[in-house]
Amino acid sequence: MESPKPLESNLISKLTKLATKKRIEFWDIRVASSSGTLLEFTNGKNKEVSYSNIKGAGIRAFINGGWGFSVKQNISDSSIIEGLNEAIKLALFAERYSKFKFKIKEYDLIRDKYTTKLKTPLKDVDIEQKIDFALQIEKDAHDFDPRVINTNSLYTDGIINSLLINSFGSSIEQSISILKIGIKSAKKAIKLLSAKPVKGGKFTVIMDPKLTGVFIHEAFGHACEADLVIAKESILEEKLGEKVASENISIIDDPTPSDMALFGSYKFDDEGIAAKPVQLVENGVLKTYLHDLESASRMNVSPNGHGRASSYSSKPQARMGVTYLKEHDWKLNEMIEDTKNGVLCENWKYGYTNPATGNFQFKTRNCYKIENGEKTELMRDVGLSGLILEILNRVSAIGNKIEYSDGVCGKGGQRVRNCTGGPYLRVEDVVMGGLQ
Amino acid sequence: MITKNNFPKENNVLFNRGKFGLRITEKYDKVKCSEIYVQKTDAFEIGLEKNSIKDCNKSESCGFSVRVFDKRGSLGFAYANDISSKIIEKTINNAVKMMKVGPPNDEFKDLPFPKKSNSKVTGIYDKNIKDLEFETPFDLIKDMIKISSDDSQVVTQSGDFSSLYTYYYVFNSNGIEISSKETAASLTSSIVVKNNGKNETGNGFHWQIERKYKDLDAIKVVNKTLQMAKMNLNRIKIETMNVPLILTPKGVISLILNPIASAINADTFQYNRSFLVGKLNKKIGSDLLNIEDNGLINGAVGSSEFDAEGVPCQNKKIFENGVFLSLLHNSFTAGKDNVESTGNAQRNSFSSTPNIGSTNLYFNPGDYKTQELFEDIKIGILLDYTGDSPNLATGDFSGLILNGNIIRNGEIQESLNETMVGINILDLFNRIEKVSNKLEVYGSKNAPYVKISNVQISGSK
Repeated sequence: MESPKPLESNLISKLTKLATKKRIEFWDIRVASSSGTLLEFTNGKNKEVSYSNIKGAGIRAFINGGWGFSVKQNISDSSIIEGLNEAIKLALFAERYSKFKFKIKEYDLIRDKYTTKLKTPLKDVDIEQKIDFALQIEKDAHDFDPRVINTNSLYTDGIINSLLINSFGSSIEQSISILKIGIKSAKKAIKLLSAKPVKGGKFTVIMDPKLTGVFIHEAFGHACEADLVIAKESILEEKLGEKVASENISIIDDPTPSDMALFGSYKFDDEGIAAKPVQLVENGVLKTYLHDLESASRMNVSPNGHGRASSYSSKPQARMGVTYLKEHDWKLNEMIEDTKNGVLCENWKYGYTNPATGNFQFKTRNCYKIENGEKTELMRDVGLSGLILEILNRVSAIGNKIEYSDGVCGKGGQRVRNCTGGPYLRVEDVVMGGLQ
Repeated sequence: MITKNNFPKENNVLFNRGKFGLRITEKYDKVKCSEIYVQKTDAFEIGLEKNSIKDCNKSESCGFSVRVFDKRGSLGFAYANDISSKIIEKTINNAVKMMKVGPPNDEFKDLPFPKKSNSKVTGIYDKNIKDLEFETPFDLIKDMIKISSDDSQVVTQSGDFSSLYTYYYVFNSNGIEISSKETAASLTSSIVVKNNGKNETGNGFHWQIERKYKDLDAIKVVNKTLQMAKMNLNRIKIETMNVPLILTPKGVISLILNPIASAINADTFQYNRSFLVGKLNKKIGSDLLNIEDNGLINGAVGSSEFDAEGVPCQNKKIFENGVFLSLLHNSFTAGKDNVESTGNAQRNSFSSTPNIGSTNLYFNPGDYKTQELFEDIKIGILLDYTGDSPNLATGDFSGLILNGNIIRNGEIQESLNETMVGINILDLFNRIEKVSNKLEVYGSKNAPYVKISNVQISGSK
């Protein structure tokens, strides 16, 4: 697959002239070309196999509170010029009717190249090996127990070559390789068939690291996204510097690439700002929000590398990368022994939050009763609900080891890779819903 | 069938590229049957934030995908958003490579064969949307902004106008050659209101999708949103109780129509992942449970003459007097069950293989005026919206009421906090007691108000 060629300086100066003539205050262009494989097998049979080849450009123009965005499939010079012209027209139209006037603050230009490396480069693996691999993991799951009815395996990989330039003079070339494998667990399916539904009421809940992670992402992280705060759709509006959680709670979003090669990590966000650790909550106090260029400009702070888009064809939004709750000092067995009447919840099916009211709900995958300090019966279809600002103030124990899990977040219809993390977490008085 | 001459000139390029692709697939010996899907879309959107226009977006996309099968049933699928000869050849070559090394699938029978459509579907294309000038929808947006800013309780409104023009072709090696030209335009509104004098906010949302531009009604959309948001104020926590439940049309969509759409999907069904497995042709609900999936309604959002594999769409009774009658099939699941496809193959874009979806899913109206559903309720719950969905395999549902109210002596009163509903969907089908005589339309789903006799409500008080 070919990488997008760096734009010639000749073209860049043409684009600059065009924008300046129309009083455009900020513009950027993201060109990308990607290819990928997706293999999904159910019971050894193909459910989905696909090979993709996609390229295009997303062009933004901004003036005084109004944005225009144009997506072009053709990435020739003339098509990019046409795209910028369209984006300018749309921005001028938006500006004419927008009530909120603001500027995009200029930041230092970045010129860089970045390539992620996999142990075996994807281009060296042929389709036959990929199919064999996916079928093998599916077979292993199927052979796990004769009572398993269905198994499902998923293999996805992709290479995205991209180029970003903007009116500040930044130019970033990236080549990102992604590989992800998933298998639906055979073991859990079996156990749950014999589990009873839970009885509704208020309980002490111990969340496992997976649930803690996704809880922090859904119930708290989204409310930290500065675009929602500006839109008055976050319960954390005007809460900076205030206590929003129990004293020992610290929450961080750090997408910086590390040896752990976390799924949600990146070196530059989709507006060309370098990723860095962002401390959202420190000892229970809300410290900052997650920013894209626009929200940082409007709130008069520096952008912190969280302007992300699912691809060139979508506009960047303020989003999470690798969000985690910091560990403390409890071991899991100590937490259980210390709980009289509670529930241990492992993993999750789905969860959501209403950021304006703070109501949240999570469906958990496996739940065990805890009676007098002992883990007992398995239960199914357990939902946890509550109000964000109440629940983080009722944390009574924080585990001593963080685990991370991969995810894909769908804010605004854009699917973006991310990671959530956290230790076991015990919370008092959580409402649980059930069928009985 | 459509011949080349019937195609409008502007789309001849796409037609020729699709035919070119089909010819390439036929050159490979191992390919038993093949399909090319070519699609062009133009989209436009105006975004609203804090009750003001914020951005305008325009995008174009054109791409194709290829499906090839060999005689073992092994599938190869590939797509690209470039329809140059070089890329078409390369993409097909990749699909064939996949097909050759993929595992056999004896459940695959064949791609569909040409069949005459059941009836002509009209009103799914509007030239005014295809040729929309971006200034035009401003009138709609202006109304949305005005109504919200005139209301002292409104904290903020976000929303958008969007329009979409799609033209696609399906060609396959069994002789299918169909095309469809469609448009859609929509308005969405989401409003946060405050309770004057109290530290409390509530929210509501509403949307409208139409095939024709002139059918959009911005004033109605915003007023509906405002009504929902205001009903979300004065929230109380309640005690656990067992009481009658009234579902609004939105509630019926999330608690009845959406789960049914998933449960009657033949693919879900064949993998035993549906709570309706074993219930076909049996009476499993109240006489008032009458649902149909009709892809042939003129002008409706879910209508088209052919589905995404070129099979004619149909009108099917899904539930009649509580008897479960039909599944939704594409050609693959139909082949597996040895039945005819029901014309329910759908694709989000050229980048997906045809999966299964409902067309226009209607819960048929009953005999009561809406008010009559409430009249004899001493204490009950109104459910307008929950973000939850039932466990598809068991039908068990336990969900948080995000928008809902308590009913006292037939009147809708305070809104609810931390309140959950728990019921099995099959029990819910049996406990349908009254159905209102008016339907509300939400895109491709239509529903009345429905009263359920008795439901477990978990409160946090």
